[in-house]
This record gives sequence, structure tokens and C-alpha cells, in this order.
Amino acid sequence: MYMTITTARSHHWSRRGMVAPILLLALAARADMEQLDDLALSQVQAQSGITLEMELSMAADRLSYYDDGQGVHLEGLRVGSASDSDQGAFHRIKVDVGTDASLNLEYLVEDRRVEFADIRLAGAPGVGIGGFFFDQSLAGTLSIRQDGGVGGNGYTFDSAYTMTGGRLGYQTNGNTVFLDDVTMDVEALGVTLDLVGSTLEINSPRVTGNWRVGAMRYSSDPASYGRSTNPTTGLPLPSYGGLQGSYEMSSWTGITAGGRSGEGLRLDHEATIYTASFIYLDDDSALAFRDITGEYRIHDLRVDVDQDWSGRPAVALTLGKLEGNLNIGAIEVGSSGASFGSVNLNFLLEDQVFNGRTYRNAVYLQGGGHPDAGPQGLRLAAEWSLRLADLSYTEDGNRIIFSGLQSWGRGDVTVNVTRNEVRNGTRFYDGLRIGFDGLEAGYRINGLRVGSDDAQLQGGTELLLALGFYPAYEFELDGHVTLGAGGASGEGLTVNSDIQIRNGKAAVIAAPYNEGVGEIPQKGLWLTEMTYDGHIRDMTLDVTDGGLAIETGEAWSTMDIGNVRVGTKEDGASFGRVQLQKYELGSTTLVKPGGAGDVCVGATGSSASACGAAGGQWEERGSEGVTIAMKNILARGESNNKKNAILWENNRGVDGRGQPINNTGMGLLVDDIHTSDGGDFNGSGVDDNTYGIRTDLSVDVYQTRVIKKTNGPDSQGIVGNRGDEKIMMPGNPGGYRYVSAPGPGDVANRPLGFAVKAETRFKELSINNIDLVHPTGGHQTVVYGAKLQNFDIRANLTATPIP
Amino acid sequence: MNLSRVYLNPAVLAAMLSLASYPVHAEMAPLGDEALANVSGQGGIYLSGDISINDVGGPIENSYFGRCDESDKKCGARFAYRLREDGGWLVLDEIKGLFAFEGLTLRVRKIDSGFEGDGELFDRDVIELGLPDTVRFTDVQFKLAASSTARPTDPGFMQTDIFAVQMQGDVIMQGNLLVFPDGNP
Repeated sequence: MYMTITTARSHHWSRRGMVAPILLLALAARADMEQLDDLALSQVQAQSGITLEMELSMAADRLSYYDDGQGVHLEGLRVGSASDSDQGAFHRIKVDVGTDASLNLEYLVEDRRVEFADIRLAGAPGVGIGGFFFDQSLAGTLSIRQDGGVGGNGYTFDSAYTMTGGRLGYQTNGNTVFLDDVTMDVEALGVTLDLVGSTLEINSPRVTGNWRVGAMRYSSDPASYGRSTNPTTGLPLPSYGGLQGSYEMSSWTGITAGGRSGEGLRLDHEATIYTASFIYLDDDSALAFRDITGEYRIHDLRVDVDQDWSGRPAVALTLGKLEGNLNIGAIEVGSSGASFGSVNLNFLLEDQVFNGRTYRNAVYLQGGGHPDAGPQGLRLAAEWSLRLADLSYTEDGNRIIFSGLQSWGRGDVTVNVTRNEVRNGTRFYDGLRIGFDGLEAGYRINGLRVGSDDAQLQGGTELLLALGFYPAYEFELDGHVTLGAGGASGEGLTVNSDIQIRNGKAAVIAAPYNEGVGEIPQKGLWLTEMTYDGHIRDMTLDVTDGGLAIETGEAWSTMDIGNVRVGTKEDGASFGRVQLQKYELGSTTLVKPGGAGDVCVGATGSSASACGAAGGQWEERGSEGVTIAMKNILARGESNNKKNAILWENNRGVDGRGQPINNTGMGLLVDDIHTSDGGDFNGSGVDDNTYGIRTDLSVDVYQTRVIKKTNGPDSQGIVGNRGDEKIMMPGNPGGYRYVSAPGPGDVANRPLGFAVKAETRFKELSINNIDLVHPTGGHQTVVYGAKLQNFDIRANLTATPIP
Repeated sequence: MNLSRVYLNPAVLAAMLSLASYPVHAEMAPLGDEALANVSGQGGIYLSGDISINDVGGPIENSYFGRCDESDKKCGARFAYRLREDGGWLVLDEIKGLFAFEGLTLRVRKIDSGFEGDGELFDRDVIELGLPDTVRFTDVQFKLAASSTARPTDPGFMQTDIFAVQMQGDVIMQGNLLVFPDGNP
């Protein structure tokens, strides 16, 4: 590999003292740079401390990196002042040599910008990845002494610096997103650098820091490039919100020459996070991830300039293995610091065969993005294989594990910064556009485990169907999600999206894919041969004091399920075809901390005594947990695409391969389902529709009563009589027994379950008509309207394994 | 016992789902150990809890609907439909009640043995709803009526109650409800 620089220009002025050797190292690559003469260098030895001040301004038309003859070019490189592109950036470096022969640098950098206009790959003419800029002011110290971590000729570094006024921006086709007002304090002591064999090893035994991003901003005006404000109005550019965090960690990094093929780089990296926090701020309301700990190991990450699986030139990042665990001690929202609980993730990314095909972990970075958005953008030809992960959630000390999570996929993801326009026939929206282009992907979980890792596998995701959660899902995805800056008010996110799914296979109920003796076909209730076409307009996401608030302007979708199958997704017997159409205007969702709180199960009562007297069971489910409050306003049908309807079709004709052909069978159509408030109360001439269907779903992990239904041994071989209660055995994880008359000590050891409390209410839900549909005879109405009024349905259900 | 008695055509699926307590399996023998050993797809869920409809009332507060402690108001839910374009409405009115249970199970399993030899012939995957032994009904009620208008607050509203049902106490529900596709999809 080698690097070239073409048409470079640089200027610096030495004001006092001498240029330090470290600076010479940094600038050595510049072909036409002024070199210090011998006289100047000789003065270095004559002074105990040297101060260098300079205005640094540098530009290069192109900086190229070649790997096995394939090049990647950084174009329009410039280093200089951030506030004035004609000026250099002020640097002051004090150099001192300590009595222990250490080299001590104290440096100050003011208002520096490093930027390049585009990144291009040789062999991909006319398209680029886009431009970046990085602004910063720095004040810090760096001490270097010989003798690294493993003896010999290594080096040891102590570094500490403060960065202020930072910006990090990405621009495509004149539109920019950037981190603004970034500040950072970093201290890394005792960092060693050694050459071990052919590997350069960097060991950082302790790195601490804190950082803050004042705002994440968006601009579609090229005139505001690199600025925080609109140049015309002087107002701040719209913001997605701010971020802040802190960390204390150690790390080890190994860098070796040699790519996945021929030249390139190999990186190995291990890190331990002792403590960290990550906070998202939206108009001063915080979503905080606190008490983060964890560790991870990156094994054999290679960087090459190469081609992807389709022969497209790319910067290739290919991974051998990434494994680790991450623990978030508390997820809090709002000023009161109310907590959802804690989350733990164990993960292993490694090559694995899914559906008969080997998936790897690789990203191929290419230029271009969406072809209609302009010449600049990022295209990621991505392939991933999450071989195994366990995601656990703990609230009020009780834990639920989404066990055996696997995911795989391959396809293109595009990234563009776009503006509100129709360009080359495609509709774009303001914001960061993440596009999906032929992405084939899937995921599955083996089941839930409640309480501990060795608890029996169980279902339970069925209780979350109202949230659109499937325990297994495979699909081919096209479309985009565009994240605009600014929420319902002030900072936040605005989402516009158009998503198309083909060949979808989603499980509504899923048995495990592995019961402990190897992989088996996952049985369940499957929605297969599924296509989905969904659109969202002006959906805002904000963090408020009460929680995460989502308001959707307009959303419509059609899910066409070719077969609803029982058994396996490939050949389970089918109930026929189901088509679900949705059309909502002004729906909202609030995700808030805290679960069901105090609940009377099995009766009605607002206190423990009243509940018990009514024959119920009083449960105090604690202060943590999750509650999702949804308001779905089903609008009256506007067209065949925008309405709420359900079509069930069966007895279809088949094609030459024996596959059913849609619209050739008998159908039952429940048409134009919509909500209303039950009358026209505001005199607009049409019924008000503001209440919708309101659903509050609270999720906790809590104890429940499990009663044996038959005499004799259960599926685990534990013997008991019908009517006995299942009681867990403390100190024997997963162990339990049956008790005919449980005492208070037994009741305290009732099994933990996945507890979902749901309440759905609506004032009025109307069905315009129910038709029978014949493929040639057309529609025949059988029900001329139906109205459901004044419903309030509550369910307290706790899911445990089937004993 | 013959398993074919519980075969259900998809055309009657909707009707079947509304008959959760219909004793379609009343004559079935419980699965023995041998059959259980052949159950593939462990997992599934055992549910304990309750489901209630308008236990304390619904969301509408008007001249007709109110909370359950308002003696002059109806606090149940109402479902009205009509089978002729300009006809009257058939109404299920004042629907309310609470159902409490332990042991409603849900899973997908394959039946390929048991049932006195019928299982082997059957050899299919089914969705199994295991009915809880006992379901406690508290103040379960509804009323069947005929009405001139869909909404009880519409002008010219008239309603004739046909009969009312009230249920209280424990209901024994044993066995499994098996749901599976049959016929041409």
C-alpha cells in the first residue's frame, strides 16, 4: 500500500522557538513543505523549553491511498481556520524535555477545521461518498518516554486534553448533518506503544473522559455549511437534540499489515468499560442510559480497498469475530429520573449458516447513495451474521431474557442527506435518509426465559402483538426512513418513511428453533408469502418529561399475507390469504417508565383488602417496568389504498407450481373500519374522531399462580396432583415442586412470569359493510354496517412456561 | 373417540373462535405420557390472570352511557349490526363482566400419535388452546335487543330487549381447543 498527495499547498509561520520533532513527523508527508535548516535545529539542544506558535493552513486537491493497486481518494482536503476559510488555524506548542528524558508537549489549537469535499473510489466514476468536516479547539498535554509495556524499544504516553467548539459534519449534494458545539475532556495515562512481532500494539490501561454534543443539526442550505445558524435569519439550524456522556475504560489494540486479500490492514481490539453514561437531550428533557459497563473483543477486522460481492469497488471492512457484553444499569427518562429498569446484552457476531447460506460480517463502503439523490452519498453493501445474543431486561430486580436471538442479512443500505424535493422522479424529505435496496434479512429468538438463564424456555411475545412484535421474521426490504431535525416542538426527530417488504415470513407464535439438541424447523403460526407496503408522513419523536412521545401525521399500509400457516413457514397448512389495510391520521404513542404498579388480578378492587375480599390477588409490581400508551385514530376510507379493511380469501385457484393465485377464491371483506367519538360535537358536519382506540400496555416481570391441570408427572417429570400450585425452589435454579396447600413461605416463591396488563378502550368503532367477494360475481353485501360502542377491555395476563 | 369430529373448515373459523367454551373436545382423553413425548415445539405459554369488559364502565359519558355506579346509565358495551340496507339493528347491549382463570395455555404442536390411533393418521400441526380447568365469572352479562338506530343517542331511538343473560360463579372448562387449517386455502 502507498499514499500520494497531489497539488498540495501549505503555509506556516514559526514565531518563536523551534518546530518540535513531533510536528515534523506529522508534516513530513508534504512534498513542498519548508524544512527547518540545520542552524535552527541546532538551537533545539540549546534550550530547555521551546515554544512554537504558528498559523497552519494546508490544502491538497487529492490524497490517495492504494491497496493492491486499487485506490480511494480524499478530494478537496483543507486544514485551516474553521471560521475563516482564508485563514490558518492557530497552533502553539511548548516542548520540554524532562529529567527522565521524557518529551513533554503542551499544546493549544484554536478554531481548526479539517475538511475534505468528497471521497471517491477508483473505478466508480461520477459518484462519491460525500464530504466531511471536523472543527475543534484543543488544549492539552502529551508526555512521551521510551520503554513501552513489554520492554525493549517501545514508548509510553500520557495524554490529557480538552476539546471545545467541536463540529463533525457530513455533507451530500449540498445538504448537511453535523454534531455541533462538541466539548470533550480526555485523560489517557500510561498508554504504551510496542512492536511485538509484526504487530503494533497499543495498550491503554485507563482512559477517562466526558463529552457533550450541544446539538445535532441539519441544513439544506449550502450557504450555512459549517455554521450553527441560518445565515439569513441568524436563527439556530434545526436540531435533532443533544448528547452527553462520560466513560472510564481500558483497551488494547493491535495493528498488523495485511488485508483480507493482499495488502491492507488488520485490527484487533479489546476493551473493558468500567463505567459509562450516554444521555440524549431533547429541549432539556433527558433519555439517560446510566451505569453502563461491559467488554468487547474485535478479532481480525481487516481493512482493504477491494470489491464487494457484486464486483463494485469499495473500502472493505471484513470481520472475523466480535463478541462481548454490555450492561446498562438504568434507563431513565424525564426530570424525575423515573427508570425503565436495566438492560443486558451478550452478543457474538461470527460467520454462521442460516437457511443454508453462510453469512459473514462485512461492510463495503461505496460512493453514490440513492441514485436519484445526486452524485454524493454513501452506499453500504452490508452482510451480517449475529450468531447468538441474549437480551435481558431487569425491572424491580426481576429479569426476563429474550434468549437465543439471531439475525442475518445481506444487501445495500444507502445514506444521503436530502432535502424536501422531487428529484429525478423520486420524492425526498428533509433529513438524513437511510435507504434499503434489496436487503434480505431475518431474525429469530429461541424463546423467553424468565428469572434466570437456566429457566425453562417459554413463549410470551404473543402478548406484545399489539406492538407489532414478531418472535421471528424474514423479509426482503426496500424503501427508506428519513430522519428530519426537529420534533413536535423544538428539538427532536421528524420521520418520513416508505417501506416495501417482499417474501415476508413472520411468526405470530413461534416454538423454539433449538430445544437443546440442535436446530429444528421452527414451528408456529406464520404469516408467509407476505408483502407489505407502508408509508409514514410527519411522524415526530420527542423525549418529554413523561416519556418518549411519538405523534404520527398520516400513516397507511397494506399487508398482504399470501398464507397464514400452522406448522413450519415453508410447508405448514394454510388458512388462506389475509389482507390487512390500515389508514391512520393523528395517532400517538407514549412510551413511559413504570409498569402496571398495583394490580388486582382476578377481581376488582383498588386496595389489597378490597381486592382480596372480592376473591382477587393483589400484586405490587413495583415502580420500574414499561408502559406504552397508544392512541390509534382509524380514519374513514379515502381511497382503495387509504382505508382500514380486512380481507380473508380462500378456496383459490392454483398456478402451474401448485401455488394459490390471489383474487381467484372466495373472499370475506370487512370494509372501511373507522373510529369516531360517537357524533358531530364540533359542528363540522362529520363525526369527530379524536378519541380513537386507546391502548395502555404495561410490561412487568412478576410472580404468578400456576396451577397443575392434571394428576401425575408434568412435561419436566415433576409429580403433582391436579390443583396443586407450582412453587419454585430457592437455591435450585429452575427447580420447582407442587404444593397442595401453599403457606406464606411458598407463596413468596411463586414462579416469575412475563406480566402484561393491557387496557383497550374506544368510544365507537364502525364497520361500513361486510361483503362476500366472488372472483367473477363481484361483491355481495351481507352486513350493512356494524357499530361497537363504549368498550373498555382490560386484561391482566402473566405468561409462564407450560409445566 | 374420533378426532375427525373436531376438524374445522376455515369457513367456520370465525364462528369457532367465538366459541371458546364450546365443548368440541369434551369427549377427548387427556394426552398420555407417550403423546407428550412426541410433542415437538416446547415453549408456548401458560397464562394466568383475568380479562374484563367494562368492569367499571366504558369511555362514553352521555345521556345513555355512564359509569357502573351511575344507576340511571348503562355502563356496558354495545354492539349493533344490521343485515338489510335500510333495516333495523340487532344489538348486543350492556355487555360487561370479568373472567378470571389460571392455566389457559397456547402453543403450536404436532399431533402424530395418541387419540387411540387417530393421531397417527392425523399427523398435522395444530394451534392448541389448553382450556383452564376453572374460569371464574364475575357479573358477566349481556342483553340481546332489536333497535331502530345504531346509536342509542340517535333521534328516534327505540329498542326492544329480547332477552338478557347474567352469569356468576365458576365454570368448568376442560380439554384443549385445537385449531388448524383444512380445505383449500
